[in-house]
Order: sequence, then C-alpha cells, then structure tokens
Amino acid sequence: MNPKPEEPNPRAAALQAELDQVKRREAEFRANMVQEFLDRGERNTYLHTLREERVALIKRGQEASADIEYLVRKLEAEGERRAAVEAQLGGLWDSWSWKLTAPLRIVARLFSRGAAAGAPAGAEVEGAVFTYYLHTSPFRIYHEDAFTLRGWAFPEDGRQVTSVRAVVDARTFVGRHGLEEPEVIARYGAQPANPRPGFEIRFETPPGRHRLSLEAQLEGSEWRWIMRTSIWCEPKGP
Amino acid sequence: MAVDHADVDLVRAQGAMTSSDANQRWSESTSTLGDRSEYKKVWNLQSQDPDVASLAVAGHMDEAKLELTAQSFIGTLRETVGLGPNDVVLEIGCGIARVGKPLSKECLHWFGADISGGMLAHAAARLSERPNTTLVELATVGLQEFPRDAFDLVYCTIVFMHLFEWDRYRYVEEAFRVLRPGGRCYFDNFPLDSEHGWKVFTEGARYPVDRRPAHISMASTREELGAYLRKAGFEDVRVRDLPNQLIAATGRKPG
Repeated sequence: MNPKPEEPNPRAAALQAELDQVKRREAEFRANMVQEFLDRGERNTYLHTLREERVALIKRGQEASADIEYLVRKLEAEGERRAAVEAQLGGLWDSWSWKLTAPLRIVARLFSRGAAAGAPAGAEVEGAVFTYYLHTSPFRIYHEDAFTLRGWAFPEDGRQVTSVRAVVDARTFVGRHGLEEPEVIARYGAQPANPRPGFEIRFETPPGRHRLSLEAQLEGSEWRWIMRTSIWCEPKGP
Repeated sequence: MAVDHADVDLVRAQGAMTSSDANQRWSESTSTLGDRSEYKKVWNLQSQDPDVASLAVAGHMDEAKLELTAQSFIGTLRETVGLGPNDVVLEIGCGIARVGKPLSKECLHWFGADISGGMLAHAAARLSERPNTTLVELATVGLQEFPRDAFDLVYCTIVFMHLFEWDRYRYVEEAFRVLRPGGRCYFDNFPLDSEHGWKVFTEGARYPVDRRPAHISMASTREELGAYLRKAGFEDVRVRDLPNQLIAATGRKPG
C-alpha cells in the first residue's frame, strides 16, 4: 500500500506565516534603527559644526577686542604727543619772535595764494566736498608692504575728476580712475562729468605712522583732497 | 550560475573603453600611488561626471552592461551567501550603485556606503526611484557611521583591489561589528595566481615607480582573504574561485 501523500499541516503553515511576519518586522526594526543612527550622526555632525563656528566667533571677538585695546593705547599715546606739540606751539605763539614776524607771514600768504592749482605732490592742497565711498577701508592697522585703496568719488560741484592719487607723507602714488561703478550711478543718478567714478590706488605702507591724503585732480588743474587720515603701519609679520 | 565573463573588465586590466573623450578625462583625473591611502581624494577626483565615474568604477559607461554585470553579481551573492526579501543589506564601496540599483528590488532595505561623496551623488541620481535605499558617505576607512548588529548581509565587490591590505582588513572587522549575529558577509578580489591576475600584476610592475596611479588594481590571495575573515571572528569561512576569475571569501557571524 502506498503511503498517503503528506497533508499540509494548516497549523504549521500558519505558524510559518506568523514567523515570516515576525522576521520581517524585526528586519524593518533594524533598518529603521540604522536610519535613526545615521540621522543622529548627522545631527551630531551639525551640532559639532555649530560648536566649532561658535568657538571661531568667540576667538574672532577676542581678537577684535585685542585690536581695539591696542588702538586705544595708540590713540592715548597720540593724544599725549598732540598735547605736548600744542604746548610747544603755544609757547612759540606767545614768543616775541613769532609776534614780530607776523607781518612777514601775511605777505608770504598773499604771494602764495592760487599756488594750490596744479600743486605738486607734497604741497599743501585744499579740500573739497566729495561724495565718495571706499570699498577697501584705509582705517586699519597695516601689516603688509602695500595697500590697494578702492572706491569711488565725485565732487559735489559737478566738476570732472581727471586724476587720483594717494599722498603718504611726502610720497605720491598715482592711481587709476574712470572705473565702472554702475550701482553708484543707479543710486545717485547720471554724473555727466564723472560717468565712471571708480578708482583704485596702490600705495606703499612702510612701518610707522604716516599721513594719508586721498586726492583728486579736478578738470586737469587743481588738486583737492577727498579724505585725510593718519595711518599706522606695523612691520610685516614673520 | 549565469556568468558574465565581461566582469573581468571590472578589474580594469584592459577596460572596455568606449569614449576617447571620457577616457582622456578619466586618465587626467587619476592620482599617483603616493595618494593611494587618500581614498576620498582619489575617488572624488574620479567622480567629476557620470561617465568618468562609471569608467572609474566599472571600466565602461554602458548602462545595459552595468545592469548585466550587476545581475551577474547578484546571482553570485545568491549562490554564495544567499539573499532574501527580508534582508537588510550593506554594500561597502557602492560607487554609483551599479549593484545597489537592481539589488534593492530583492531585499528589504539596501544601504550603500562609499568614501567618495562625488560617487554617491551619481548613485543618488540612479536611485531616485528606489525608496528602500540609503546612501552614506564614509568619513574615512571603516564603518563608524553604522551601529553594531544591524545588517543581515554585508558585501564588498570590486573594491579590495583599490585598497591597501590594512584597509581591506579594517572593512572585514567592521563588517563583523555591524552584522547581526548570524549575518553573512562577502568580499571579493582578483587572485594573483590567475592568468588575468598575473597580467594585471605585471602591467602594474611595468609602470615607472613614480607614476603608478593611486587606484591601480592590486591582487589578493585566497589565504589572505580567508585569514582576514577568520581573524575578524567569522565562522563557516569559505574562499571560492568564481567563474569570472575573481575569488570570494564568505563567512557568517556566530550567533
């Protein structure tokens, strides 16, 4: 007699199906666990980045504070020097020799009037009212051998700028002018005499304290200063 | 087992180059051997666009051929370590997801890890319609981004030839950590003592010493692969000769 083919056991089949379900849920749980682990890692990385940025900002703040402290000390020293010079000047003005030579100085001023037009570098020039902006701020402590001043300027009397220069103490550095500044024109309107008011001047910054005068020549003749300031140049670092 | 003998191209002794332009760009993107350990740099350089990336990881740019070689490899996985619909799978060095794209249709979830973010960007584009896939950029050699006891299967194919031996072992150790108890692993390389392996080896030897590329293929031996798996703690370790001239070491995490 042939044995009867084995009947499928419905209970075993049901258990097997249940087991498969459990295995699948367990696998899904593991896949989700990996995903959450990865997400947590990403969050930690982001947190780490934020912490690093915070540390960098604190460091920058501390550096800025140190710069300010240094500048304040310089300012105090300059103030003391100025007070000493003023005291010396006061003494000079009160002296008999200064009072006796006053008429001579008046005559000299009369003769020199008008000499500012086309003044050579280092000669005293007068200021004029300019609308201007400096893209690279000259108000800094200089650490390099040279600095490039970039900006734009036009005189409010509408005259044409025909040249620009920076005078550092007695040295002159001629710059390029007539550079495009479309945003300036868009904001201030057409400047018929100065359609391209941009300029760029590179000047040397040897160590020490200097007088910087940014100057423009108007209509090919007289020079007028746009901005003047004292600058302080540190020796170049190692 | 269905075998695609063109798989041999994958070790790039004589890649089936189909575009001179892509080949030119690929050769320009290669680094010298001194950079070999800098896997992220080496492989990011080679992932600048999809064609170059495909050449770099597969030796050709033909999508149909990519699919064919991937299916062949999936067949190898099935026959060596098995593959089930509930498997949570991790591929080490997935590149552009050549294997992951078709394999993700046959498992519960496929995770692809690679050290090159550039390669993963191409992989992401290829996997845009595969929701059960996740790509992970590895920070360095190892699988520190992944938790322990998580995967049913970890595999690594056509990758070991680009790694130094220490780094190969590092991935084997890491595979042991991230596999669940009872989980399976698969690692392959081309063997030094096959005709093809020896050809690749002698071609490498002919390079001027200072001009060997960082990704140059380096063989394994059966003993080496077997030792890695046994030392890492795997059991049922087997090293097989595959018909496509690769050798594969497989094992199971106890438990």
